[in-house]
Amino acid sequence: MRILSITTSLSEDSTTLKLANKITAAATSAADDAGLSPETDHVNVRNLSSDLTDMALTGFCSENLEAAFAHVAESDVIVTVAPVYKVAPVGLHTLFWQLIDEKALANKPVLIGSTGGTPRHSMAGETVLRPMLSYLKGIVVPTTVFAATDDWGSVEGGRSLNARIAQASEELIGLAASLGGVAAAPHAGAEASSASTGEFGRPGARRNPSIDDEFNPEFITPFSQLLEG
Amino acid sequence: MELGIFTIGDVTTDPTNGTTVSENQRIKNTVEIAKKAEEVGLDVFATGQHHNPPFVAPANPPVLLSHIAAQTEKLHLSTATTLITTTDPVRIAEDYAYAQHLSDGRISLVMGRGNTGPVYPWFGKDIRSGIPLAVENYNLLYRLWREKNLDWEGKFRTPLNGFTVTPTPLDDVPPFVWHGSIRSPEIAEQAAYYGDGYFHNNIFWPMSHTARMVQLYRQRYEYYGHGAANQAIVGLGGQVFMRKNSQDAVNEFRPYFDNAPVYGHGPSLEDFSTQTPLTVGSPQQVIERTLSFRDWAGDYQRQLFLIDHAGLPQKTVLEQLDLLGEEVVPVLRKEFAKNRPADVPDAPTHESLVIRHREGRDPIPGGGPGSRAYADRQAKAAEQKDTQGADR
Repeated sequence: MRILSITTSLSEDSTTLKLANKITAAATSAADDAGLSPETDHVNVRNLSSDLTDMALTGFCSENLEAAFAHVAESDVIVTVAPVYKVAPVGLHTLFWQLIDEKALANKPVLIGSTGGTPRHSMAGETVLRPMLSYLKGIVVPTTVFAATDDWGSVEGGRSLNARIAQASEELIGLAASLGGVAAAPHAGAEASSASTGEFGRPGARRNPSIDDEFNPEFITPFSQLLEG
Repeated sequence: MELGIFTIGDVTTDPTNGTTVSENQRIKNTVEIAKKAEEVGLDVFATGQHHNPPFVAPANPPVLLSHIAAQTEKLHLSTATTLITTTDPVRIAEDYAYAQHLSDGRISLVMGRGNTGPVYPWFGKDIRSGIPLAVENYNLLYRLWREKNLDWEGKFRTPLNGFTVTPTPLDDVPPFVWHGSIRSPEIAEQAAYYGDGYFHNNIFWPMSHTARMVQLYRQRYEYYGHGAANQAIVGLGGQVFMRKNSQDAVNEFRPYFDNAPVYGHGPSLEDFSTQTPLTVGSPQQVIERTLSFRDWAGDYQRQLFLIDHAGLPQKTVLEQLDLLGEEVVPVLRKEFAKNRPADVPDAPTHESLVIRHREGRDPIPGGGPGSRAYADRQAKAAEQKDTQGADR
């Protein structure tokens, strides 16, 4: 099972990155327990900042950005973590989700994590990101993880943060397992792509059509059908 | 191989001195550019179609193309877009046939949908129906150019009863049609279905994507039995700016790039040059980059360059044409001809289309007997018959 973290870590050793690593580790161990052979990967949106603004201005998707979007499409579950600025996840982070293809998250369990200075920002993930990720057809788990300075600075805070992370990760992996079709073995890719051959929207086709499928002569709508309207 | 230029007719302020030419001047400049294209030995001049500022590309391109036809001898005159979605197919059929007569067959068309939402309602259309409009309207245009006393009924225009286009196309052979699209597989499929050409503007997209569209068109062209995949008729755009010394080209073009409509204030010139076919440098660099298109597009039939946009002064544009004509095009012609398989067709001309027509080799839309598409249809029909038999 491929676990991908999409994180906007603005400095090198940010608390956002720390939180993303903690969540990914918890999700990995939950997946291990469930016998799902987890593989993890990480995309830092910071490295795509100019690609994202370029695309917003010109509609032109750079190769790096396209690779990141493809990475999302290929993953089974998504962890997304960003710092909160003025009661919303930082704009760079939302821009990533605003520019990705519609339905990019179809059938994918998603876990939202955020960091902020004070607990007053704690609802940002819920109010801003959850509807956006739902719009992308992601299945966002009920528990979101918010970590404020307090959570890092005190023993109590640390404990309760870890508990929230464990809870959210179990929801994430439990959901992935119950959705079925999530590969337990490295052969997942081959299995998934053979399951999606044939026509789009066919029952059982788990994976979204990728750009390769879109230009595959076997998948396109024959012109006679277009002509019939 | 046809080599030429295409224009979108933008009226853009020159960022280096703040001057903006008048619409009148831009239109006259466009005519001068076309005439110069013939003078320096290019094959094609192509224009877009526009209904909104800051563009003065004609709302009805045959007006401009006929005017240029009257002042040139050999130059092929094409659209870079004919808006098949919002222009009445009956008017396209008539106006372009008329221009075809006036120009003795030097006219061809690139069909496009147009991506500016507000334009559609001005003509009673809806951008959400872009693809269905392109499909129905082109099908009507195709028939108008080939059938007399046509009875027709569709979704998007008033029905026709016993309609015959006047004038009918020259020598009963319609102008050659390319279908242009950046990323809609339906349009590559449409081009393949009819055995028409496929044109990619090749300006805003990474070449890896453009290659996929070209590949799809080629495969479907073969499926419909119009020829082998490598015989499909492919056209590409491209964007260049040249000076003898490549660093001079970069320095001179940078302010125009940085402030250009669409991509200005976005990616750097360097990034955009890496990721898209834009080439800013010496004529030799332009030659090498353009020849490399063949590596991913296969041997193709038409190459058009965008050279006159973003507020570049007319004098500079004419200098670009000199460089194209003197240094670039002769080499491209020679190099593109090298190792080109003998069975890959040249760009269609009126003369070649007349011969094809008289020999009864016109493409059959959807594929005639002998094509895989035809065999698939037969198999499907037989299957349906069997099922009906079993039901009884």
